[in-house]
Amino acid sequence: MTRPQPIAPSWTGALLALPLLLFLVAGVAWPLAHLASRALTEPGGAAVREVLVAGRYRTALVNSLALSAAAAVVSLLLAIAPAWVLARQRFRGRDVLRTAISLPLTFSGVLVGFLMVVLLGRIGAIPKALGFLTGREAFAGAAYTVGGLFIAYLYFEVPRAVMTLESAFRRFPGELDAAARTLGAGPLERLLTVALPIAAPALRSTLAVTFSASMGSFGVALILARRFTVAPLEIYTEMTGFLNDDVAGALCLALAASTLAVGRLLAAGRR
Amino acid sequence: MRRLGIAAVGLLAVALVAPIAITAVGAFSRAEWYGERSEGARVADAPALFSYVTETWGGALLRSAEVVVAVAPMALLIGAPAAWAFRRRPFPGSRLLESAALVPLAVPGVALAFALIQTAGGFPRFWLLVGGHLAYTVPLVVKTVGNSVETLDPRLEPAARSLGAGRWETASRVTLPLLLPSLILSALLVFAVSWGEFNVSFLLATPLIQTFPAGLYLAYTTNSFPVAAAATVVFLAPVVPALIAIQALGGDEFHRGLPA
Repeated sequence: MTRPQPIAPSWTGALLALPLLLFLVAGVAWPLAHLASRALTEPGGAAVREVLVAGRYRTALVNSLALSAAAAVVSLLLAIAPAWVLARQRFRGRDVLRTAISLPLTFSGVLVGFLMVVLLGRIGAIPKALGFLTGREAFAGAAYTVGGLFIAYLYFEVPRAVMTLESAFRRFPGELDAAARTLGAGPLERLLTVALPIAAPALRSTLAVTFSASMGSFGVALILARRFTVAPLEIYTEMTGFLNDDVAGALCLALAASTLAVGRLLAAGRR
Repeated sequence: MRRLGIAAVGLLAVALVAPIAITAVGAFSRAEWYGERSEGARVADAPALFSYVTETWGGALLRSAEVVVAVAPMALLIGAPAAWAFRRRPFPGSRLLESAALVPLAVPGVALAFALIQTAGGFPRFWLLVGGHLAYTVPLVVKTVGNSVETLDPRLEPAARSLGAGRWETASRVTLPLLLPSLILSALLVFAVSWGEFNVSFLLATPLIQTFPAGLYLAYTTNSFPVAAAATVVFLAPVVPALIAIQALGGDEFHRGLPA
């Protein structure tokens, strides 16, 4: 069997990738660079300071960061067991369950928000059901609280985490686990000394994926957020409500930069 | 232990599907849920309800279809050749470009939409929408096709060439047929993402150029529950078969899904 020829650097390759390069530059890099350059000059610079120093804009950013981090961690914890089962076990109905779990990945944020209202709105299904069962309606209007917003984030982040982890777990070297078992390691020891170190990069990249998706999430908050605000919602309000493009631009920059930075941080050291 | 794990998966699936089921039941039931309907007798039963939805948001439905039809071939043409080149004809900087191709997935849609309006506001809105959708679909194509190229035997193409096939013949009779499943999968992924995209679309929407998810927002905020539920069902109708096909083709990259 002959080895494939070593491939020399190729103009064909560069030519084939040219449309991608042009699109990334014109459609993504240039607009974002423009955004950044506006923020470095006045009056954009003043707006950046206004956003970062205090008040509702910074609150919105901090809220986004906190909510996204919490949703990323909790959805990861909830996703580990289902992802492992889907990746490593064969059972009847597995494909159906997998499809059902991935269904929310196709949903617009507004749709998720609406489902939350259906379940936990002021006349939601859960309060009504509780009222029917126990005679006392609980959680009516919970959809519009921070807790409701958090559950909505979990609704679209848990499927994402399950699917990301599942494809990593499928590549998990089962023989290492078996070797540890024959050497006498118990389930907990195997989990801590074999499985987790191997899975660590997958866990980190899952956190990166879910975190950045939550940071960008807009539709859910548009439907649900009342007193609580998040950065994308604030950008929308500044842009369309107050026509304050400087502040909207500064918020966009802060949101995009913090999202990309945390994503980089989580992905760092991943090889 | 095994049973417990499967039960956990089942429980998760039920928890995720139950809200949809409750909503769908709402669309098909005639019960006067949520009190008075502003739409009155025009939504008296399920058929009237659905024709009201497709009438009211017919323009948005059509627009969404147009966007998908424009985005899908463009995403494939931009992403697939590059994905093949990264694996088979690497060039200086190709690794960097490949990782740069995934960056848009981490850029918040609202920020990208705002940046697009600021820099290219003079462009027709429809093409700005297409550009925004491409940013979130091209990366999926690059990943999906790239994964598929990786599984192909690298000796097939040189073998075809050594048997006398030219470049185009090799591409059209060896490479493309082998990549066809991943191209179909990519097109389905593009469809599923583009159909539901809201973050970019809503900011770029004008009263005339509006996609269906933006219409959904109006339905949720201004219409009665049965109308909103019916609009949700209309939204889901093409997504569910696409999703089943994606799963059947082993759509690994779908885990990126949509930033809601």
